[in-house]
Amino acid sequence: MTTKPYPHQECLRLFEKLSEFIDDELDAVTCQDIEQHLKDCRACTACMQTLKKTVELSKCTGSHPVPETFSENLKNLIRKMS
Amino acid sequence: MKKNQEKKTIHDNDTKLIRAINSGRRELFYELVKRHEHSLYNFGLRMCGEPRDAEDMVQDTFLNVYRYLDGFRYETRFKNWLYRIATRACIKKRRKSTYAPEKELSLEEFLPSDESQIPDEVPEWALMPIDKLLNRELNGMIRDAILALPEKYRVVIVLRDLEGFDTAETAQISGITPVNVKVRLHRARLFLRDKLKAYFNHDD
Repeated sequence: MTTKPYPHQECLRLFEKLSEFIDDELDAVTCQDIEQHLKDCRACTACMQTLKKTVELSKCTGSHPVPETFSENLKNLIRKMS
Repeated sequence: MKKNQEKKTIHDNDTKLIRAINSGRRELFYELVKRHEHSLYNFGLRMCGEPRDAEDMVQDTFLNVYRYLDGFRYETRFKNWLYRIATRACIKKRRKSTYAPEKELSLEEFLPSDESQIPDEVPEWALMPIDKLLNRELNGMIRDAILALPEKYRVVIVLRDLEGFDTAETAQISGITPVNVKVRLHRARLFLRDKLKAYFNHDD
C-alpha cells in the first residue's frame, strides 16, 4: 500500500470547497475559517490563486462572429416560416 | 403556506417581444433570433467545437423555439429557456457522434500525487494580470481543454463560467440539482487548471 503524503485534513476540506469560496457561495462562518486557514497555509493559498486565475481566464476567452452565410440562410428560413 | 402557490412571472428584455409574437405578430420572430443568435452560436462552438455542428444546433434550437413559443409561460427568463433547448440539442448532437465514452472525474485525481507536487508558493502565471496572459494560443488551449472535458462537466463550466449563468439557472438549464452543479463545476475547473499548469510549466 502506498502512503501518500497527504495535506492536512483541513487542507482537504478546503480543497473541496474552493470553488464555492471563490464564487462567494459559502456562509460567513465557513468563509472566515477558510480565510484564516489561507493566512497560514501557503499550499492552499497557491491552490486557491491558481484556481481563481483559471476561472478568470476561462471567462475572458472572447467570442467568434456568426458566419455570414449561415446567418443569411437562417434569416431566410425564419422569414419563410413566419 | 398555500400548497399551490402561483408561480412568479418574469419580465425581462424579451417579454414584450415574445408577447407580441404570441399575439399573432409571427413576423417578429426574427427579431428574437437576431437578439440571441450570436451568443447561441458561441455556446454551440464551446460545447460542440465544430462550426458546422454549432450552426446545426442554432438552427435546430430556433426551430424548436418557434414551434413551442406559444407554450412559454414567462416563469423563467427567456434566455434560460432558450439555453435549455440548446443544451439538449448539443447533447443530442454528441450522442450521434463517435466520441469516447463519458468518464467520471474524481476529486482525488486533482490532489497532489506526492510531496514534490504540493506547491509552496503561488506560480507566476497565477499572479499575472489577465491582459498579459491571454493570447491566441492560450485562448485556443483553453477552448480545447473545455472540449476535452466529459460532456456532463463541460455543460456546467460553459454555462457557469463562460455564459454567465448562476448556480440556480445552470441547474435549471441542465436539468440537475444545484448541488450537482457545484460538484461538477469544481471538478471541471480543476481539470482546466491542470491543463493550464501543464501549459505554463511547459513554457518555463
